[in-house]
Amino acid sequence: MYELARKALKLAEKIGAEEAEIYYASNHSTSVNFRKDSLENAKDRFSEGIGIRAIVNGAVGFASTNSARELENAIEVAVAEARVGSQDPDWMGLPSDGKYQQVTGIFDKRVETLELEECIDYAMALVEGTKEHPGALPTSGGFTRAKGRHLILNTNGIDIEEESTVVSGFVDVITVDGQTSTAYDFAISHSLDIDFFALGENAADLALKSNGGIKIEPQKIDVIFHPFAFSDIIEDVLAPSLDADNVQKGRSGLIAKLGKELAVPELCIYDDGLIESGIETSASDDEGVPSQRTTVIEKGVLVTYLHDNHTAGKAGIKSTGNGLRASYSSPPSVGLRNFIIDYPQKDVIADTEYGVFVNTIIGSHTANSISGDFSVEARNAFTIRDGALDEPIKSLMISGNAFELLKQITGAGFDVRRVGGMIIPSVRVSDLSVIG
Amino acid sequence: MKSIMQSIKFYDCRIVGGSFISIILDNGRIEEISKNFTRGAGVRALCGGSWGYTAVEGEIDLKHGIEAASKLAFSMNANTPKESVELVSVNPPEIKNLPEIRIDPRDVSIDEKVGLLMSIEANAKVKGVHSTKVTYMEAEFKIEYQSSDGLECEYELLNVGFAVSAVASENGEYQAGRESRFGYGYELFEKENVMELASRAGNTAVELLKAKTPKGGEMPVLLDQELAGVFVHEAVGHASEADLVLEGDSILGNRIGKQIAAPLITIIDDPTLHEFGYYPFDAEGVQSKKTEIIREGVLNSYLHSRETAAKLGGTPGNCRAQGYSMPVVRMSNTFIDNGDARFEEMLEELRDGIYLIGSRGGQVNTGEGIFQFNAEKGYMIRNGELTKLVRDVSLSGKILEILNHVTLVGNDMKITAGRCGKAGQIIPVSDGSPHLAISKALVGGS
Repeated sequence: MYELARKALKLAEKIGAEEAEIYYASNHSTSVNFRKDSLENAKDRFSEGIGIRAIVNGAVGFASTNSARELENAIEVAVAEARVGSQDPDWMGLPSDGKYQQVTGIFDKRVETLELEECIDYAMALVEGTKEHPGALPTSGGFTRAKGRHLILNTNGIDIEEESTVVSGFVDVITVDGQTSTAYDFAISHSLDIDFFALGENAADLALKSNGGIKIEPQKIDVIFHPFAFSDIIEDVLAPSLDADNVQKGRSGLIAKLGKELAVPELCIYDDGLIESGIETSASDDEGVPSQRTTVIEKGVLVTYLHDNHTAGKAGIKSTGNGLRASYSSPPSVGLRNFIIDYPQKDVIADTEYGVFVNTIIGSHTANSISGDFSVEARNAFTIRDGALDEPIKSLMISGNAFELLKQITGAGFDVRRVGGMIIPSVRVSDLSVIG
Repeated sequence: MKSIMQSIKFYDCRIVGGSFISIILDNGRIEEISKNFTRGAGVRALCGGSWGYTAVEGEIDLKHGIEAASKLAFSMNANTPKESVELVSVNPPEIKNLPEIRIDPRDVSIDEKVGLLMSIEANAKVKGVHSTKVTYMEAEFKIEYQSSDGLECEYELLNVGFAVSAVASENGEYQAGRESRFGYGYELFEKENVMELASRAGNTAVELLKAKTPKGGEMPVLLDQELAGVFVHEAVGHASEADLVLEGDSILGNRIGKQIAAPLITIIDDPTLHEFGYYPFDAEGVQSKKTEIIREGVLNSYLHSRETAAKLGGTPGNCRAQGYSMPVVRMSNTFIDNGDARFEEMLEELRDGIYLIGSRGGQVNTGEGIFQFNAEKGYMIRNGELTKLVRDVSLSGKILEILNHVTLVGNDMKITAGRCGKAGQIIPVSDGSPHLAISKALVGGS
């Protein structure tokens, strides 16, 4: 369908779109998956499609398809929808300024040419890694490699094409003797720099260490969140309120907080679409706006919300390059790029006399993302005594508020980790309510 | 290729084509009208103990797809040979009892649909509400299935639904209320009292502004039908999926025939009901049928695919896929069957505790048997009576403990539509329950 993209743009204009945009994306992925310790299946999937945005009178219509035969029909539908849509007085036009910086580290030729046998080896490395720690077995997991390409064209002259590769590994393990405990590990990267064996090893080690958990009393306590756990809270509870669309529509807990002190002064947060090899790195966002580095929180103060082209037009500012799409079949909306949590680092566990360390949490998606209130179940949690991890905790419920929590951060570790696009250390939050 | 094909003992193909429409009315404006046309096929091939899967889109060349999937399966098996996979044999499904559609949504103009959304919005915008969003969804798709063991069948489905959310604010505090319904045919909007649902969403948002977060801890709880439905889905349904049992990742492994719940509890999965999880045959062409997962407290059956049914003994029919993805064992319409307790009786029995209502979703760790979910709101119960409204209350605990702590099962079962994610695939399901009284559970609060 790639070769139809330019023709599609012309057709949209011809049948009456005042402005139009074509978003073409293709993805070819191969994955090898295991169940227990044997490989179960290999999957190979090629997908491609085109999404069309048509604008008539400041109203937007959107249609998409993965079938070349339906493309013309989809374009007609998009234009017809725009005709019945509500005119938006704030519509400032599709992006136009297409000057891009070059980005690096998002394409690895070796990933593109990986043979199935090599994929099998990487998947087996995940399984073999778990065997370093007898007593734990893998339950499921797998290795995936993918290559993607997208092309964005619009009638204001945007014309950008990019390619990237991705590899990832995931492993879930369970202990086989005594009390049951589970753990997982995963990693994702643009190039083959992941130690898959170590992922298996770490997961098995963590599951075994979590075995034989104790119960703790309900209390207010220092909680250190592993990057996996803290990134869940940031993504599910904080990020929705930074989305300018939610702010403009009255659904954000951060309305009227620009320039206000939101967090402890040591905390800075950046949204960066340009850093080398970041999972969310690309020259442009998904509507052709050049990627940039945006300071979101500087020394505890909220500097900006995150914008796509539409919300920026409404606010009378420039897009921050956060117009993202889940796939060609959805129109752009505000999303996080590489999201960097920056806080002065130290050996944060050694610095904690008494507290708990939480590796992962479940249930952060059930939080109230407007008020910021959350209540989650901690997994693979441990007590901290005299600056060291002490005993595993069987079950632990942690409640708090994402906005309050930013004011209660008292430490961060050296262990900065990339969790998808999140670049994040372990973070210590003081005085959180826990129920054991 | 010929020699590879000789080692392939089974293959099947699912071709899925259709379109999906959504209209979003946001704060009174049509924010988005979008339509997606899609067509593709998923092909599986089995060689020894290894599966190969390939997806093809657009112009579908099935022969090529079958060869590609077969090659994958063959190489996997050659590289890492293992115990051969068996599939239970099945008969061709009988396509009957499809949901009847009285008003075809395709015959309703966009203008009329937008008009409907406008009235829903107006009803949600009760005093105190300052932000609203209403979404209309309509999906039509056709599924064609064929397999190397001679099955060939197809069906078409058309469903519609809507969701409304309202946000109220006061002194920098924000609270939201949400309602949604899904079904078959545009008559859904007549059958369900959508305008009342809309104002309920608005009222919930406003009421919650005044609510407080209760003190957490262990206490007796009463779950409403929706939250109890999420519990049965998350905590029991997932653990009964036979693929997880085979992975050793389910607390329900090796417990068939054992008493695992209070005898009041019977849990059923039934894809033949015309609820959101309905299908006439599953993603392996197997006739849909009702399964009693738990009968009077005793674990009776897991949910199966053809492969897991052959391994563990059981009946297939619960293998499902999002679009043409690789099918996995899934639930359909899952619910706790009616008991005989009246609501007032349950309050009386509970005396002091908390009544939890509605759901913001949940999650489960099937291996350790631990779940967590969040209620939309709740009421404290004092001396058998509902007292003050509370918010941001969550419930977590051990699946088997909660199942045994159920003391009363209501007589007022209700089923709610939802979406369920597993293995990266999201599919329509529904879950339901009557009110449930539980003698003690861990409630999270401030």
